[in-house]
Amino acid sequence: MNGNDLLNGIRDKFKDDITNVFEKSETRVYIDITAESIVRFANYLFRDAGARFNIASGTDARDHMEILYHFIVEEINLLISLRVKLDKSKLEIQSLANLFEGANWIEREMNEMLGITFHGHPDMRRLLLSDDWPEGVYPLRCDYKEWDPNAIRDRGV
Amino acid sequence: MGLKINALLKSPWVFHLSTGSCNNCDIEVLDCLTPRFDIERFGMLLAGSIRHADVLLVTGSCNRQSSIRLKEIYKQAPKPCLVVAIGECALSRGMFIHSYNCPVPLDKIIPVDVYIPGCPPKPEAIIAGVVKLIEKVKADKK
Amino acid sequence: MIIAYTVIFGFFATAFMGLVASWIDRKVTARVQYRVGPPLHQPLTDIIKLLGKETMIPQGASPVLFLAMPVIGLASVVLASTVVWVNAISLDISLIGDLVVAVYLLTIPSVSIMLGGFVSGNPLASLGASREMKLILSYELPFILALAVPIIKSGYTINLSAIAAYQAQNGIFAGSPSGFIALLVGIICMQAKLGLVPFDVAEAETEIVGGPLIEYSGPGLAMYKLMKNMLLFTLPVFLMIVFLGGVNLKGWGILSTIGKFVLLVALVTVIRNTNPRLRVDQAVRFFWGPVTVLAVIAVILALKGF
Repeated sequence: MNGNDLLNGIRDKFKDDITNVFEKSETRVYIDITAESIVRFANYLFRDAGARFNIASGTDARDHMEILYHFIVEEINLLISLRVKLDKSKLEIQSLANLFEGANWIEREMNEMLGITFHGHPDMRRLLLSDDWPEGVYPLRCDYKEWDPNAIRDRGV
Repeated sequence: MGLKINALLKSPWVFHLSTGSCNNCDIEVLDCLTPRFDIERFGMLLAGSIRHADVLLVTGSCNRQSSIRLKEIYKQAPKPCLVVAIGECALSRGMFIHSYNCPVPLDKIIPVDVYIPGCPPKPEAIIAGVVKLIEKVKADKK
Repeated sequence: MIIAYTVIFGFFATAFMGLVASWIDRKVTARVQYRVGPPLHQPLTDIIKLLGKETMIPQGASPVLFLAMPVIGLASVVLASTVVWVNAISLDISLIGDLVVAVYLLTIPSVSIMLGGFVSGNPLASLGASREMKLILSYELPFILALAVPIIKSGYTINLSAIAAYQAQNGIFAGSPSGFIALLVGIICMQAKLGLVPFDVAEAETEIVGGPLIEYSGPGLAMYKLMKNMLLFTLPVFLMIVFLGGVNLKGWGILSTIGKFVLLVALVTVIRNTNPRLRVDQAVRFFWGPVTVLAVIAVILALKGF
C-alpha cells in the first residue's frame, strides 16, 4: 500500500490516540501520540503495516521530554516518527524491548542518559557510562551540573 | 650519553593506542608507516605487544573508561618508555573540554614527553614531532 | 679447545653473519617495496636496545621456565652452528657432530619458542604456541625426508664433511633430479623453520598481537631475536653443505660460497615478499600433502640412482 493509504489506515484505527500529524515531506511523517498507546502502535506498524523499527531518540525539550520512535516502510520509502511527550514529573513509559530486539540497547541508553524509566524491560543495566558514575546523575539533561571535584575544565592559559 | 639511551633513540619501536578518538589521528599515524614516509629508515617498527614497545603513541581524548585501561597499559610497558600525544584531543581534549565523560587531560594521567598538535596532524608533522622527541631526549641526558 | 671453537665460531661469527643476513633481508624487502631501508647497524642496535630494557615477568608465569626458554633456544643454535662451522671449514678436531645431531639441535629453537609461549600465562600466547606446535608437527617430516636424499646418494654416510667431500668429487647434489627436488623441499621447510611469511602464522602480528613472544621484554626478547637472526645464517649454510657442495674457502671458491649464501637468503626474502600468509590448517595441509609427496618422490628417485 502506498503512503496515503497507510496514514489513513492509522488515522482510522487510532482516532483518539493521535494528537497531531505533521507531513514534512512525501517520505517523512511525524505523528504525535499519547504515551499509553505506544505498544499498540508499534504492534500495528510492525505486523499490519509492514514497517520495521529503526531507532529511537530521546531529547530534553526544556519543559517536557520527548521520545521519537522511528519506523521505516521500505517498499514505499516512508519514515514514520512517533513522538511521545513525557511530563518531567512522570518519566515512565512501556518498553518495546519485548517486541523488538533492536529497542533493547537504545532504551538502556535513554535510561542512563535522560533518566526515563521503561516498564517491562528485561535487562536494565548501564550501557555506556562508566562503572563509577554516580546514580541519579543524568548527563544529557538540560540541568546537568558538574559533580566531579577532580575535573579540570580550563585550558590552563 | 649512555649506550642504553643511544640505542633506544636509534631503534624506537612504536606502539599505537587510541583512547577513544574519532580515528582520524589513527589514520594519519598509519600513513606514517606506509612506504611513502617510511619510518623504518629511522629504525622504527610497529610493535605488536606493549611489552616490546619503546614509544607509546596516544591519540584520542581519554574518557573515564579508557583511562583505567591506559594506566594499566602504561604500567605494562617496560621502562624506559616515552609517550607521545598526537592530535588536539590528546593534548587538551580539544573541543571535548566540557564533556561529561572526559574529566582530565592526558598529561594528568600518564607523563607525556612530546605533544604533536593538529586535527589531525599531517604525517610530516608527526615525523617532525618524533625528531623533536629524539633531540629533546639527547639534550636531557647531556 | 672445543669451548674456544664454540665461543668464537658458534657464537660470535654466527651472530655477526646472522645480523648481516638479517640486514640483507630487511634491505631487500624495503627496496622491493620501493622505499629506503634501515641502515647497516640496525639489527645490532635492536639487540643492544633490548638488552637495556627492564625484564618483567608476568604474574601467571613460572619465573624459572619463563627466563630459561630463550637461553635454551640460543644455546641450541650456538651448538648447532658450531657443528656446522666445524664441518664447513673442515677443522681437524674430533667433534661428535654429524647430520643427525645438527637436525636435532635445529629443531630445538622452534620448540623453545613454543614452550615460551605456553609458559607465559597469557591466552594469546597459548594460542600462538599451539599454532607453532601444529606447524612443527607438519614441517619436520618432509624436512627429514629431504635430508635422507644426500645420505643415500653419498653412500649412506651421515658425516657432514664426508657429504661435502663426496660432492666435491662427484658434482653437487642439486644437479641431479632427486637432489634438486630435495633442495626445493628443504627451502620450503627452511622458510617455515625461520618463521617467515607464508608460514608465520604463529607470530601473526595483526591477529594475535605478537604470538608466543607477547610477554617477553628486555633481555629475554633480545635472546629470541638473536636466535632468529643466527638461524638465518645457520640454516642456509647447513643446506649449502648438504645440497650445494659445501663451503670452499680456497681461492675463487670464496666467491662461489658467498654467491650461494646470498642466493639462498635472497630466495627466502623474495618468497617472503610475494606471498600472503597461510592459515594454520592450510599450512598443515600443504606440508602433509604436496610437500611430503615431493620428498617421498625425491627419496625414491635417489634410491633408484638418479
